[in-house]
Amino acid sequence: MGYVLKRLLLMIPTLLLISFVVFVIIQLPPGDYLESYIAELQAQGESVDMEKVAYLREEYGLDKSFGEQYLSWVTGFVQGDYGYSFEYDLPVSEVVGDRMYLTILVSVLTIFFTWIIAFPIGLYSATHQYSWGDYGLTFIGFIGLATPNFLLALVMLYFANVYFGTSIGGLMDEAYINEPWSWGKIKSVLEHLWIPVVVIGTSGTAGMIRRLRANLLDELHKPYVTTARAKGLPEVRLLLKYPFRVSLNFFIADIGSMLPSIISGAEIVALVLSLPTTGPMLLGALQSQDMYLAGSFLMFLSLLTVIGVLISDLLLAVLDPRIRLEGGVKK
Amino acid sequence: MSQLANEHYVCDDPYDPLSIEQAQAEQQTFYLASQWQLMWWKFKKHKLALYSGVFVILLYLSILVCEILAPYDLHTRHVDSIYSPPQPVHLFDEGEWVGPFVYGWNQTLDMSRLLRVYSEDTSVKYDVSFFCSGKTYSFWGMFDADLHLMCVEEGGTLFLLGTDRLGRDMLSRIIYGTRISVTIGLIGICLSMIMGIVIGSLAGYYGGWIDNIVQRIIEVIRSFPELPLWMALSAVIPVTWSPLWVFFGITLILALMDWTGLARAVRSKLLALREEDYASAAQLMGASPPRVIRKHLLPGFFSHLIASATLSIPAMILGETALSFLGLGLRPPITSWGVLLAEAQNVNVVAVYPWLMLPVVPVICVILAFNFLGDGLRDAADPYKH
Amino acid sequence: MLSKMTVKRPGKMKVKMKSNLPRLLATLLVVISGSALAIDPQPPETPLIISLESPMQAGVRGGTLRMMMAKAKDIRMLNVYGYSRLVGFDTKFELQPDILLGYESEDDRVFTLHLRPGHRWSDGSPFTSEDFRFYWKDVANNTELSPFGPPKSLLVDDQPPLFEVLDELTVRYTWKTPNPHFLPLLAGPRPLYIFAPAHYMRQFHPYYSDAERLEVLQKEAKKRNWVALFKSKSHPYKMDNPELPTLQPWHNTTYKPSDRFVFKRNQFFHRVDSDGQQLPYIDEVVVNIVSSSLIAAKSRAGESDLQARYIRLDNYTFLKEGESQNNYQVRFWRAARGSQFALYPNLNATDEQWRTLNQNVNYRRALSLAVNRHEINQVIYYGLATEGGNTVLPESLLYQDKFMNAWTQYDPAKANKLLDELGLVERDDRGIRLLPDGRSMEIIVHSAGEETEETDVLQLLHDHWMDIGIKLHIRPSQREVFRNRVFSGDAVMSVWKGLDNALPTSNMSPWELAPYSQQQLQWPMWGNFYETGKGNPPTIPKAIRLRELQDEWEHSTSKLQRWDIWQEMLDIYSDQVFSIGTVSGIMQPIVVSNRLRNVPQEGWFSWEPGAYFGVYHLDMFWLDDSKGVQ
Repeated sequence: MGYVLKRLLLMIPTLLLISFVVFVIIQLPPGDYLESYIAELQAQGESVDMEKVAYLREEYGLDKSFGEQYLSWVTGFVQGDYGYSFEYDLPVSEVVGDRMYLTILVSVLTIFFTWIIAFPIGLYSATHQYSWGDYGLTFIGFIGLATPNFLLALVMLYFANVYFGTSIGGLMDEAYINEPWSWGKIKSVLEHLWIPVVVIGTSGTAGMIRRLRANLLDELHKPYVTTARAKGLPEVRLLLKYPFRVSLNFFIADIGSMLPSIISGAEIVALVLSLPTTGPMLLGALQSQDMYLAGSFLMFLSLLTVIGVLISDLLLAVLDPRIRLEGGVKK
Repeated sequence: MSQLANEHYVCDDPYDPLSIEQAQAEQQTFYLASQWQLMWWKFKKHKLALYSGVFVILLYLSILVCEILAPYDLHTRHVDSIYSPPQPVHLFDEGEWVGPFVYGWNQTLDMSRLLRVYSEDTSVKYDVSFFCSGKTYSFWGMFDADLHLMCVEEGGTLFLLGTDRLGRDMLSRIIYGTRISVTIGLIGICLSMIMGIVIGSLAGYYGGWIDNIVQRIIEVIRSFPELPLWMALSAVIPVTWSPLWVFFGITLILALMDWTGLARAVRSKLLALREEDYASAAQLMGASPPRVIRKHLLPGFFSHLIASATLSIPAMILGETALSFLGLGLRPPITSWGVLLAEAQNVNVVAVYPWLMLPVVPVICVILAFNFLGDGLRDAADPYKH
Repeated sequence: MLSKMTVKRPGKMKVKMKSNLPRLLATLLVVISGSALAIDPQPPETPLIISLESPMQAGVRGGTLRMMMAKAKDIRMLNVYGYSRLVGFDTKFELQPDILLGYESEDDRVFTLHLRPGHRWSDGSPFTSEDFRFYWKDVANNTELSPFGPPKSLLVDDQPPLFEVLDELTVRYTWKTPNPHFLPLLAGPRPLYIFAPAHYMRQFHPYYSDAERLEVLQKEAKKRNWVALFKSKSHPYKMDNPELPTLQPWHNTTYKPSDRFVFKRNQFFHRVDSDGQQLPYIDEVVVNIVSSSLIAAKSRAGESDLQARYIRLDNYTFLKEGESQNNYQVRFWRAARGSQFALYPNLNATDEQWRTLNQNVNYRRALSLAVNRHEINQVIYYGLATEGGNTVLPESLLYQDKFMNAWTQYDPAKANKLLDELGLVERDDRGIRLLPDGRSMEIIVHSAGEETEETDVLQLLHDHWMDIGIKLHIRPSQREVFRNRVFSGDAVMSVWKGLDNALPTSNMSPWELAPYSQQQLQWPMWGNFYETGKGNPPTIPKAIRLRELQDEWEHSTSKLQRWDIWQEMLDIYSDQVFSIGTVSGIMQPIVVSNRLRNVPQEGWFSWEPGAYFGVYHLDMFWLDDSKGVQ
């Protein structure tokens, strides 16, 4: 249990560091929210009262120093006050709404989708190395990896509409937006969910197949496998009993590395598909320099991955004693 | 069994312990071969990887001679051939073999749909020839030349993959785009491998507080969804930079995002391997840490590194396309596959001008090739394994 | 899909009948709260009668109009499309009373505004001169809410007007000198608001509301102080506060944030058709928020009944193919900008060499002459655009051919000659001219890089200018970075859209033609000088003259005088080529559902003047459900 505690404590500096980096990042682009706001109004042909802008700059605290802004944001964040969204003229917590949950939903479903596809293919490929099946299946996996997500999303979106009549984009039919949850709404969500899940999933599947196959192959050539085979253990049992279990470690360790890329992938795909997840809103916030909204989204997403990595590390420690003892062995 | 127990055959010849080795010259070469030779033998057996390797090498060679391969210049516009679909090349005219040629290519503007419609004019023929003199170009900006792989007779057009909205030949643009896209992958992976191995081995070998710091940094970088990091980092690239510097900037960003994976892999492998007996043995014999890492530990999981590195090159090429899609990566007039795909990123293209999505084909091919190549290299890096 | 509609329709009708109940309840609530008398939803006693000009037909009330926007903030477009203003432009861009029953103006100095008797806000409270008084006294002149005093646009020579309430329905604004700006500002797509719903806003004002209640409200909204609270509740233009009463044809019922906003008809709206039926015809407008890249695709799938925003000319082919299948029609309106894209040589560039050149009229003329506008038109706009300078469009009464054609005839030989005469004869080995200090003439054109169309035009320009020995580089950057670089003078040249108002009448301000604001990309510092007093005054005589004319216009009293001012300014502006125009009058595709009636076949899709659909009376559009079913 000491390991768990240590892992948890280690999260604190990580998160602090992240929060700092987040804040630096959202402040990095030149200018601030008001400048992009003015630019947008100008693009419309709408005029801006410069005196009002000066007033707003003070009102939003944009005239304060970096340190002050950071401190007030971080202390607020810990207390559940995520700051204020300039763009929406609302507290950030009210803007985020369901978007966080929908992002988690899409991400978790994508991970499951990836596993379901990658497990059998990886197993088959490793045991039938260099067979036509191996080549064929990995090839299909790679096509998914090789096609840029955003293009695949666009093409699927268009043809899903042409052939299945699925309404374009979004996560549900428009009539269900702002409605309470009902069976109809759930059905509508499921009808829309498969495109993003497949698009994001396919890009991760190939990598997972590849890694699973590579690890299994490493294991399959170890002496204990030969021994087991010599002892006459049936091939399937032999496979599942040891090498597969060892390879599982890698699989679980992979959650940590998959999560950020899935969330990122989800973000780009969400942009194309106009999903009501964090992606489009985050991008919009970054572009308009709505700093507290962008910062909070970044913090939430990072938190999500940090927790994901934590879970994967803890599981790994359960499965692989070598890692659990890591801290104990001193040179 | 018991009956045979007593029937021994005894050879009377004098015993020469080296006889077997001497007899098999083939085996001798095998045992005496260097590691690299062994790897090559092993690699050759993996046909798909071999072909992929050849493809990749050809591709990298091709970027040296884009100017010759491309039928047209990168920026040449054809005002009369805007949004032309791929133009067919014919071999037979009225059932007779005449070699490759194209018919006249006529444009009519359908004003009711605002669509340019193209048709073949079979009354005119233009021969397509190979290794011929065509339009002059400046080879790598150094000297003028006019050798082309393919050209069409004066007056004809040769748009094998169609043209874009300004009437620029897609094939030429893809060929020139290759130059940028694959170099990004190569330079990027070199940077990220160096960073990954150095930082990863430091963390993995020494453990302790170094490991802790490195772990924290890696964790922070990896906890970020790439997208916002890209956005922020590209915002830092000064607007005054020339396109070439932007190119290197983007490459560096991609590398900065990528090294953590390798470092993590190196670290975790080292953590496991440094407890192995041979590592302890080397240490006890007084080998310095860099030597232990380089000579004893790294080779132990070189296969893994190769696999990850080859898998990373495609990730970088894809990363470039994603950056361009977000409008954060390279921008015209620099032409990369990502730039081309970003231009194809709208429903008009999917529905009306699908050939503009063709740059996805080389992207897929390259990524497949790198993956199969990596696969083959990985197996070959462990030549004693079967 | 079509057959489904028939099944659905009876159901819809039922819902409609039921929904009267909550409406009654709402009215009741209003009664109980004491803010209004028990009143039937109805237009004012003397409504604005909109005559139905053929081919417009009297419509049937009801139905839901679906539209798409790319950002939640875009719902302000409903305010623009609804275009209910104190005074508004008609389709000929002449001013007419709209919310006002009428107005009198003495020498454009004294304005007396008459309200409609019995006119009510969308919540049923009376709309009276008190709403004007509240705005003037408690908002515009409240030192906390408006620390800088009334909006600058209400000041003439830094003097605010004298405001008087004459009676419950009449107010008067008096300036010492003429203010021809006043009425056009009230009619703008983003209008100047000189009134506010006093009965609603009072609760957020410490002068009327008790401190405790105000603090509760402030905490609820998580605002720092009452000023922030007041401001966030009081944006009449943004349409984002469902509680804020409005005078628009539809009022918002959805709280942000949301991806779907439902607007309901304002039952007290002040316009009726010639049969006496109250407008708007359409009961409900639903705005779905969709990423801008998908809007064309969704329109093609028939998911919008009226869509023009985020649809561009190059979507036309794609949209046309879905017409019959998805029961809509694509119409061509025209964009009313002075030029689709114009180049702005920065006369305030910090680089001395370039600044000298940019300030030289023959240099600007040479650049303009070298642009092959015909090719741009053919390659990008299918030959459908008008080739010419950045000036008013031929449809404007102020138009003259010489404005459009000044220095825009493609003539590279003449351009070369002009440049040679400027002494730019030296060339490098690429054939590019050299600046006097020996640098190559490579112009970096800064762009906001938002549209591929813009990049394409620049790509063509690059080739055109190569012929006169000038190399063009495109430098896209983020919009605000782009603007800052222009303002600071780092950018030698920039590309942006042409004149915003290219269909002006002489009653509209010609400010775009003179140094007026920092936002003007050809002379940001000179503009800043007149806007804020910082920056530098113009140094070249023609720009100074333009500014003088602008001042004259601002103090002008007669239409004739303004006409002359406009003519002279247009003449100077185009002859001096202060911006280099390309093509104008671009086609704007409009997707119109076959069910939607009274949408003109042709029109101007223009922000100013026109408020996009505004002047075409979106409230007169109606849904003919009998035609939706075939």
